[in-house]
Amino acid sequence: MNDLIRFFRINTLATMGTSVLAFLLAAILFGPFLGLASPLELNMAEKLQPPSSNHWFGTDSFGRDMLARIIHGGRYTLAIGLGVVVVAFIVGVFFGTVAGFLGGIADMVIMRIVDAILSFPALVLAIALAAAFGPSLQNAMLAVAITLAPQFARLARSQALGVSVKPYVEAAVSLGLPRHRILWRHVLINAIGPLLVQASLSVGSAILQTASLGFLGLGAQPPLAEWGADVSANLQFVRSSPWTALGPGFAILVTVLCFNLIGDALADWFNPRRRSEL
Amino acid sequence: MFDFLVRRLLALIPVLFVVLVIVFSLVRFIPGDPAITLLGPGATESQVAALREQLNLDAPLLQQFLEYLTGLLQGDMGQSLKSGKPVADEILARLPATLEISVLAVLIAIVIGIPIGVLSATRPNSLFDHLVRVTSLVGVSIPAFLLALLLQLVFATWLGLLPVSGRMSAYLFVEPVTGFALVDAWLSGETGAVRSVLAHLVLPTSVLAAFLAATLGRFVRTTMLEVMTEDYIRTARAKGMTWNTVIYGHALQNSLLPAITVVGLKFAEMLGGAILTETIFAWPGIGRFMFEAIRNRDYPVIQGTTLVFALLFMLTSVIVDIIHAMLDPRVRSKIR
Repeated sequence: MNDLIRFFRINTLATMGTSVLAFLLAAILFGPFLGLASPLELNMAEKLQPPSSNHWFGTDSFGRDMLARIIHGGRYTLAIGLGVVVVAFIVGVFFGTVAGFLGGIADMVIMRIVDAILSFPALVLAIALAAAFGPSLQNAMLAVAITLAPQFARLARSQALGVSVKPYVEAAVSLGLPRHRILWRHVLINAIGPLLVQASLSVGSAILQTASLGFLGLGAQPPLAEWGADVSANLQFVRSSPWTALGPGFAILVTVLCFNLIGDALADWFNPRRRSEL
Repeated sequence: MFDFLVRRLLALIPVLFVVLVIVFSLVRFIPGDPAITLLGPGATESQVAALREQLNLDAPLLQQFLEYLTGLLQGDMGQSLKSGKPVADEILARLPATLEISVLAVLIAIVIGIPIGVLSATRPNSLFDHLVRVTSLVGVSIPAFLLALLLQLVFATWLGLLPVSGRMSAYLFVEPVTGFALVDAWLSGETGAVRSVLAHLVLPTSVLAAFLAATLGRFVRTTMLEVMTEDYIRTARAKGMTWNTVIYGHALQNSLLPAITVVGLKFAEMLGGAILTETIFAWPGIGRFMFEAIRNRDYPVIQGTTLVFALLFMLTSVIVDIIHAMLDPRVRSKIR
């Protein structure tokens, strides 16, 4: 663990990513106590104000403070990033490990479904599913999780295949341990490293995809201050008052960038060849 | 080679089957009675019955699926609920517009992404390397709709250098022969039309290419760095080969093969981005068609466009595998 911290400290970009994310987290946690305007409070007298000392990020067409909306929207974004990846991770790893360990028909059926889901451009399938489930933030998250899960399933399967021929698993089998116990206690535990790297790399795309659904009107619904939905809600004012749409847009960029920096660093960390080079 | 192709296509059949099941199920995922949900409250019973009939929701599920399959084999994707026209015709009319920007974007991304990755990997930790790493990281982290909006604001609204949206200036008319605006304009022989089409192509193509070029640059850089630590590179250097021969003869060749696979895989993500890009630039392709269908809850069109996107992607993967097989001597010898 100490090694990991040191590794992050000499890796400038990863340090930057972590710091910005920590700052964002602090803003989200303590923002409500700083006396900011409410993200939902309408004030038609101050609509479409450019950034000023009163409204650092300006106001939207309903006079709502953009800074308050962006800070409030950060909660949804972090919840989306983590929520989607956790669901995709659990579902994908479960089916992938089962497929790799059991083999045979279970393996074939699971992997054909995985192949089929991966045959769709992820965003296209997410859009189609979200459109069918009905537009809401939860449904959008579910749709994105479904498109992300196969990556975990494939990785978990190959990890499980590699681990299940190791002597300690053979030993456990010959001792007559029940299958589910071998699966969880021996196979999965030893395959978890690369899966966690994949998870950290997936947070960024989970946020991007869900924001895109929000932008297309298939995710969070107004007046929810979700960033993707806010960009599209302010689209018609983008020429006269660009801050309304660009503020939440840049918030997405910065957050995804931070998660990608951290994911990159973790991937380097778990890759011994690259680690020695740094 | 022929055997390889046949085996590759046969392996596609079970996957295609599951893909069709998923697309078929899309309407059935709608909570409650899809017909009532689609029509909204206030629909009369006869309207609901008519829509159920049109969406073929009354037959047993297996029969519905079989009829869906036979329809597809005859090129029938159902009728658009909005326009009443056959979905297949509507998609075919819009396909060239989407292919036009995505194929151009892939070419641009390859021309920019690969050299950048190589230059960056051969000068690790230089200023250029850091610049490339940061820019490419921003490139993969930026939402497609934000990049599209920024480019539109800067180059169209503020600088007025390029058109805001659309495919060609409104006052120009070009006989649609192929459906590809660039080819049609060229065939018409009017330089003004060609120039207008090119100007309209720049922004949407850049948005799509940016993501792919960034991904490709990052990938080529990482693979090159790994390849450079291989034994055969050290051997080549020890034999006294020049730096350039080692880089371009050995390292680059071995890094490009996986890069081809990545281009194929990321092509799918680019197609997804086409929905956002076409929507913002009012580009009349299947991406915008799908977006409009979602707005109108036009499920036959949503199903049709989803299927076509998946087919496009599957076709790309087959092409990528063939190119890969032709270029990789190990695979090539196995095929023979």
